[in-house]
Amino acid sequence: MSVSPERISSESGDERNSVSRGVGVSLVAGRGLQRALLAAVLPVIVIIIWQIAGRGGSLFGGVLPTPDRVWHAWQVWAFGPTGLGLNPYSGTWFANLVFSAERVGKGFLCAIVVGVPVGIMIGWNRISAGALDPTIQLLRPIPITAWLPFSIAIFGIQDIGAIFLISLGAFFPIVLNTAQGARDVERNLIRAALMMGAGRWTVLRRVVLPASLPSIFTGLRIGLGIGWTAVIVAEMIAVKSGLGYVLWDAYYVGRMDVVIADMASIGLLGLASDFIILHIERWVLTWRRLQSFQS
Amino acid sequence: MGTITFHNVSKVYRGPKDVRALDDVSLNVDEGEFVALLGPSGCGKSTLLNVLAGFEKITDGTLLFDGSAVMRPGPDRGVVFQEAALFPWLTVWENVIFGPKVQGLARSDYEPRARKLLGLVGLASFADALPVQLSGGMRQRVGIARVLAMNPRALLMDEPFGALDAQTRLSMQQLLLDVWQSLGTTVLFVTHDIDEAILLSDRICVMSARPGRIVRTISITLARPRSIGSLTSPEFVAYKAEIMADIQISHTH
Repeated sequence: MSVSPERISSESGDERNSVSRGVGVSLVAGRGLQRALLAAVLPVIVIIIWQIAGRGGSLFGGVLPTPDRVWHAWQVWAFGPTGLGLNPYSGTWFANLVFSAERVGKGFLCAIVVGVPVGIMIGWNRISAGALDPTIQLLRPIPITAWLPFSIAIFGIQDIGAIFLISLGAFFPIVLNTAQGARDVERNLIRAALMMGAGRWTVLRRVVLPASLPSIFTGLRIGLGIGWTAVIVAEMIAVKSGLGYVLWDAYYVGRMDVVIADMASIGLLGLASDFIILHIERWVLTWRRLQSFQS
Repeated sequence: MGTITFHNVSKVYRGPKDVRALDDVSLNVDEGEFVALLGPSGCGKSTLLNVLAGFEKITDGTLLFDGSAVMRPGPDRGVVFQEAALFPWLTVWENVIFGPKVQGLARSDYEPRARKLLGLVGLASFADALPVQLSGGMRQRVGIARVLAMNPRALLMDEPFGALDAQTRLSMQQLLLDVWQSLGTTVLFVTHDIDEAILLSDRICVMSARPGRIVRTISITLARPRSIGSLTSPEFVAYKAEIMADIQISHTH
């Protein structure tokens, strides 16, 4: 008598099919449209009420422009001719968006490059934890806005100042979540790797790092959100370009239509960047997705 | 190759109240022998396995593997864990070749062997699957294949079939018998299942709890090769009666 692989493989073949079917096309396509419609209900209602409430194109005694005016301002800002002088914002939307996105990208990358290794060390090694964690916990409660004067004093009105603030803001959630992930690695996985002849470095790279990835991605998503906050704050004060700069500048000259178009742009950009991370996460953590689907 | 020597080994977990997980344990396992450690949970049988694996340090005594003191985990002692402990982000194949790969062996040295082992445990067609896509029994097969891929001198198995349903457990026991009978590796097998211990082993060490001790050793002389068919033989039942009486005795202590 011996084991029968046929029986076992056919039974689990079904299991595998049901997994791929479940996360597959039919489910996403059918419910996708439904979900998009449901999601649109609230914003559409708000915009309609806002539009109807407006008299002569504005609310609150001329302070708040109605959606159609915001939309118009946005169009000019995005597609209008540049350099005519009458409207300093005309045609500059994309350039400013790129300024901001580039700063967030650079700052976020710095935060990852420093935050992930430091987080792994803190989570993995007691001495590193003892040496680094208290300092991080001390610096963490200082809000990003409190760093502004420091940043301007050190870096001046330059890109690097904004990038510094963004990476600082994104660093903390990345480092804390990574450390948590590294601490929570299942003990038997580490033992299994050691048993198979892996050295400490191999265990870190091939076990602790991949096992921490779900937590790391949580940190990345929170960090990126803070990165967007930081870039707007920094551009309002510490640099002379980008969506944050336009936001403050437009407010000063009373262009509330541009202010609101700017706010909407920031929201959409934040949403888009989170969407990108989410998809990278899904791709990297296929095993994790299947795991949660299974249970 | 694959000899194990425990000589007056103790293991104490320090704490507010010290716990003597192993108390003066002596045990010799010869090359190619299959020894089962049988006992209730908390009797220190897993501790015994963990110190031999090198995951934990002994407090007292001498612990030798092939004549040299056990200092750290290593591929010469392949451990099969209760919950398989596969890397969930690696495919079945990547899990199986993990050991030889991190040891820096040449691909041509381990790939044919790993393929053969995957076939031996009946998972050749699942090489590209992720562990989550497998059933518990299949995962444990991968756990066994990945350990055998390292060509260990001893297999240390910590209740490897404890989490499986009864039917799967039987087929896994048969698989282990087949594999062991063809490879002849030394096996130290922790279990709380009397049937399993009798069916698989040459010798059963019955352990008692707090402090963890080996209270009795029973040689099982059922003819080899064995199969799960042996479970109903009169000799088997006689052994079972003997061990059950024994456990009764150590309970009334």
